[in-house]
Amino acid sequence: MSDVAELVRLLDLEQIEPDLFRGAQPDSARARVYGGQVAAQALVAGIRTVDPAYAVHSLHSYFLRGGDYSVPIVYDVERIRDGRAFQTRRVVARQHGRPIYYQTLDFQRPEEGYEHQDAMPAVGTPEQGFDLVELMRSGGNTEADALGKEWSALDVRYLGNTRTGLPAHHRYQAQAQMWVRIREELPPDPVVHLAAFTYASDVSLLGASLAAHDASPSHTQMASLDHTIWFHRPFRADEWWLYDQWSPSASGARGLSLGRVFLTDGTLVATLAQEGLIRPRPNAG
Amino acid sequence: MPKDAAALLALLDLERIDDNLFRGAQEPSALPRVFGGQVAAQALVAGTRTVDPAYGVHSLHSYFLQPGDPGAPIVYDVETLRDGRSFATRRVLARQHGRPIFALTANFQVSEEGWEHHDVMPEVTSPEKSLDPRQVLAQMYPDRDTSADSEWDVADLRYVGSSGDGLLAEDPEHPGLQRCWLRVSSRLPDDPFLHVAAFTYLSDMTLMGSALAPHGARPEDGTHMVASLDHAIWFHRPFRADEWWLYDQTSPFAGGGRGLVTAGVFTEGGTLVATVAQEALLRKFDPSRARA
Repeated sequence: MSDVAELVRLLDLEQIEPDLFRGAQPDSARARVYGGQVAAQALVAGIRTVDPAYAVHSLHSYFLRGGDYSVPIVYDVERIRDGRAFQTRRVVARQHGRPIYYQTLDFQRPEEGYEHQDAMPAVGTPEQGFDLVELMRSGGNTEADALGKEWSALDVRYLGNTRTGLPAHHRYQAQAQMWVRIREELPPDPVVHLAAFTYASDVSLLGASLAAHDASPSHTQMASLDHTIWFHRPFRADEWWLYDQWSPSASGARGLSLGRVFLTDGTLVATLAQEGLIRPRPNAG
Repeated sequence: MPKDAAALLALLDLERIDDNLFRGAQEPSALPRVFGGQVAAQALVAGTRTVDPAYGVHSLHSYFLQPGDPGAPIVYDVETLRDGRSFATRRVLARQHGRPIFALTANFQVSEEGWEHHDVMPEVTSPEKSLDPRQVLAQMYPDRDTSADSEWDVADLRYVGSSGDGLLAEDPEHPGLQRCWLRVSSRLPDDPFLHVAAFTYLSDMTLMGSALAPHGARPEDGTHMVASLDHAIWFHRPFRADEWWLYDQTSPFAGGGRGLVTAGVFTEGGTLVATVAQEALLRKFDPSRARA
């Protein structure tokens, strides 16, 4: 199977009974399950329990414990609200009888209203970006090979951050920008695109909070604490999207990053937020 | 609605029914449904009561599920999701009449040190030179019903401006902007958590003004149904809710009947102390199709 076919398989859950699902694991060399995988599988579990007339417009989630690659993950869906205009689901991801991740997601029956959006910043093209995994490798990130294998379905072209390549901003101290897409064409099902995007959205977001600091990832313990997505408009995850990130704050060994996702034509399709642990490792050089 | 800090503190002081189960009182109000900031703040208090005080709240994420009934108390049911060495997580379900009306998850951390940075505060007029919002609204909408305005007296608000009223300079990158100063109008005790809870209460005010600003509309103009869908706060640094803080709001998106707002909260000294995000339903009333 190709890397992308493998990703599509990973995001297709087995139904155990109504509102209970099981997600497979990839062949990974890493110690803990990649957060984007858990977020995307939980999203798929939630979507499977909602009338397709309702579309997901947001998810809020907390990572509770490191996930274990050696066993599947169970997704238990609770119906919080079945309203006329909105439906809400809570998904608990469990392993070994303990919750590892907790996601709430909200669905809306499509309606019309006011429209506006932030303008896309002026940025370089995807071709001008650097392959993210290559950058990690040349930067001495000891996890680069394992991440490159795990993220092989993703094409991430890094444009730069506040310390390297991006011009200073008058208000933002820490910024990063990159183009992302799924490497090969995905099936047309919009749920696959939502899930693949959610999978990819956990790549690098926390890194923006380190962009203001002389902190190499090898000398920093990093872990996502929460992950939030507001889905504004449908889009294809297998065509280039700009991941425009900034970190409004770091304090208390935590960093908050916000992300905006633009298509090449400038359409804003999603906004994200993630807080993470950015803990300087003891005795780091 | 609470008139002053003392009434607000009383509202946020929950009755304990059992372990992990609390009841929140109501204040008399002309509002047809419970103010979202009250439910969020009471739920946060409920969650915090079940956590070792060595852990401080650093974030909350929540969804509004049903309008709250101001005529009945609200029950807050707390579930422990994690009690870790560094982090503790609680989920709080607010219930009335046997139905969930609000779901909040909050995360708590044992204090530690690390890298520090934050966004730069925008240049704005001082609170003293900013505008009295009630005068601004009286000029905009001379026929507006002001009978319930005094219900909000616990909040001291000074309006700076929005991208829709010419009071803020236009920013081509951000069509939806609004800024105001806020504080609790009378002195709070020094307990830092009371400031977190009082801030959470006030944080549900004014946000949607930034989402309506690009459309020549305001939440107060009487032609919109505006309802908070979710509410998230990241608490970066301790601060006093009874001293001025700038609510610097940006709406990156509106569409599909929804508007999203993200906001930075700065002290008068320019320190970013919190970030807030809220999505809300923004429906223009259709006069031909009156709906509840």
